[in-house]
Amino acid sequence: MNIFRLLITPRFVGFKNNLKGPGGGRRVKILTLIVVGILFWLVLFFLFYRVLAYFSSQEMIGDVLARQLLAMVLLIFFSLLIFSHIVTALSNLYLSQDLELFHASPATLTEIFLSRSFYTVIDSSWMLIVFGLPVMMSYGVVYHASLAYYLSLIYVSLPLMIIAASLGILIIMVLVGFFPAQRARDIIFFLSLVVIICLYFLFRFLRPERLVNPDSFISIAQYLGALKAPDLPYLPSQWATDLLWTRLTGYPRGQVLNDVLLWSTALALMVIDIWMAGLIYFRGFSKAQEAKRRTRVGRKILENAISALTRPLGPDTTSLIAKDVRTFFRDNSQWSQLLLLGALVVVYLYNFSVLPLERSPIKSVYLQNALSFLNIGLAGFVISALSARFIFPAVSAEGNAFWIILSSPLSVRRFLWSKYFAYLIPMLILAEVLIIYTNYLLRVTAFMMVLSSVTIFLLVFGIVALGVGLGAIYPNFRHENIAQVATSFGGLIYMISSSVFIALVIVLEAGPVYTILSAHFRGEAVTNAQWVWITGSFILVIFVQIVAVKKPMEAGLKSLSSYEG
Amino acid sequence: MIILKNLTKIYRGIKAVDNLNLQIPQGTIFGFIGPNGAGKTTTIKMMTGVLRPTKGSISIDGLDIAKEPSQAKRIIGFIPDRPFLYEKLSGIEFLRFKAGLYGMAGAGLDEDISDLLNLFELSDWADELIESYSHGMRQRLIIASALIHKPRVIIVDEPMVALDPRGAKLVKELFKERATKGTTVFMSTHTLALAQEVCQQIAIVDKGQIVASGTSKDLEEQAGVMGDLERIFLTITGGPTET
Repeated sequence: MNIFRLLITPRFVGFKNNLKGPGGGRRVKILTLIVVGILFWLVLFFLFYRVLAYFSSQEMIGDVLARQLLAMVLLIFFSLLIFSHIVTALSNLYLSQDLELFHASPATLTEIFLSRSFYTVIDSSWMLIVFGLPVMMSYGVVYHASLAYYLSLIYVSLPLMIIAASLGILIIMVLVGFFPAQRARDIIFFLSLVVIICLYFLFRFLRPERLVNPDSFISIAQYLGALKAPDLPYLPSQWATDLLWTRLTGYPRGQVLNDVLLWSTALALMVIDIWMAGLIYFRGFSKAQEAKRRTRVGRKILENAISALTRPLGPDTTSLIAKDVRTFFRDNSQWSQLLLLGALVVVYLYNFSVLPLERSPIKSVYLQNALSFLNIGLAGFVISALSARFIFPAVSAEGNAFWIILSSPLSVRRFLWSKYFAYLIPMLILAEVLIIYTNYLLRVTAFMMVLSSVTIFLLVFGIVALGVGLGAIYPNFRHENIAQVATSFGGLIYMISSSVFIALVIVLEAGPVYTILSAHFRGEAVTNAQWVWITGSFILVIFVQIVAVKKPMEAGLKSLSSYEG
Repeated sequence: MIILKNLTKIYRGIKAVDNLNLQIPQGTIFGFIGPNGAGKTTTIKMMTGVLRPTKGSISIDGLDIAKEPSQAKRIIGFIPDRPFLYEKLSGIEFLRFKAGLYGMAGAGLDEDISDLLNLFELSDWADELIESYSHGMRQRLIIASALIHKPRVIIVDEPMVALDPRGAKLVKELFKERATKGTTVFMSTHTLALAQEVCQQIAIVDKGQIVASGTSKDLEEQAGVMGDLERIFLTITGGPTET
């Protein structure tokens, strides 16, 4: 037990030292994260509170809906927990750099396995617990639950967490038994991406908006039947749902079987995990340490395409862009996200193609143009989200090899602007495709077509500059996985800044656009005073764009130039 | 020629390098030795433009690294102590990338790359991703990449890390040969035998300051100890001289 405690100490001491670390910036960072976390927490709580309060006001079906929602939430949490354990167990049990030190120590295999499993549980569960809490609290408040309900949250979530952890760890041990750990990571990543895309398509093409259309339902019995999704009595999340529901409403009574099932499964799986670890864990770990296989790369197609496209930029910029493109397409965790991007674009465009404009009570010509205007913001947010994933980490992607750039004759300014232009072009093309095609589907006026194309064109310059600039202000060259960079504190700051920038441009344009369109549809002329105001607003938009490009790039340049590792 | 004038680096109130002054003539192999944490790597990082000095100046062949960084870096070949590279590039792609950063392109480049790969016995691995290279192979690739633009000054931090005896011999011969052709080599190392064998001048640095410098003979006089560099080093830096 002493050894176990010793093995888990580095993480806690490291965490404590990290909090204590020097600099006022750290305090601001922690405070910002706490504020954003609390805001998110409150939004989630009120969202569920409103939904549940509405349900409870509906006779007959209110409780059915609330219970189904609880079952669904717990099923999603449980699935996410298993998935999250699979991902973190791979890194904690097989790939972490400190594992070599542990395995070379006199600690037993079981002690190492248990300490790393402990890390895995902490890493995988804390976020779900924190964000699951407002959902469960809203149930408690709406159903006026007693203290027993709040206590049972701990009593129920603990075995649920153990089951998810044991299953996740078991799956990864078996997977690494068949494939080397590095390969297993690629496989998990790819499979999870395919599952997400399939679920995304499935959900979208089921057209959930039909559910709010009363014409779709023939009878209340059919509606209730549709709501009562089949119960899943063999799933631990269902046992947890039944237990919590009993604590909330007092019905059904005497559910001892669920307690027994939940706890006995948790304990049994724990024992099975430890037993399996004794059999296969070390074999998998040893395999993960073996040298990576030799990977010979083809040179022809990619090489020719890159050199043809980048030739006019000079050898230094060409080298940099070519290196980035090669790295992107050779890293499975990077290129495969293009699938996600493809799915996002297809569904985005599909949504516009199925809009029932002709059935709207509002005159469709107004609606089409209003939607087209709002679409500028929406497309801007899509580009922002993609930039958070691909552009914000672009500077950090240099990783530990950043010394090569710093010691080369390539100036930091040229380095940053090369990154900027390399990402600007594809983002411009994507944004224009989104806007022009959706405008075509909406059959908007020529004025709206020009306005939205020009606005998104300008927006992309700012969004990309914010991504590159803030990425240079908050670089992380020591990441183990580039995906960590997008979800870091800097990534959060980027998303907030980018959203504020887009909102500002939309707000500045909204008034003038409304005035012009209203005058157009009423057949009236825009007054001189209105023209002055419209011109002023558009000049202000251009000013905001210039600031959005200039400031973050300058700040990024200054920060990166004084980077000291 | 390399000139360091009053070079100082302060990290969070701690002086890592303290008022360092050095003048190294062209074509010299210069050894920079000192205990752990003496400020060797910090000095090297400032000389290569990776770190900014708090005070002082660095001149490489007449070019001030702070005022004309691009021109100065163009004539430096830097070999760091830790071989961090782009894992998803192949060896040959990395050399092309590095050449590109130094503005090199054109017909002769492929031939130069091929020569370097042959010299460092990496030809068989040229098309393999760097992620599959051993530690020693990475180090050899880094050294090859530092020579691709034919630098007039080579700055190297622990050149023999991870190299096998064959690789170590190759690097030693290479430095000697380049120095005879006028290349200045600034080398930080813990391998005192290497410093004694190849360096014409040596400086011992401790706590950010130069505590002794000159030829091996000068160092013997300054330490008041005759014999090998190890004894001189231990006497000057205050360590036990007998084991």
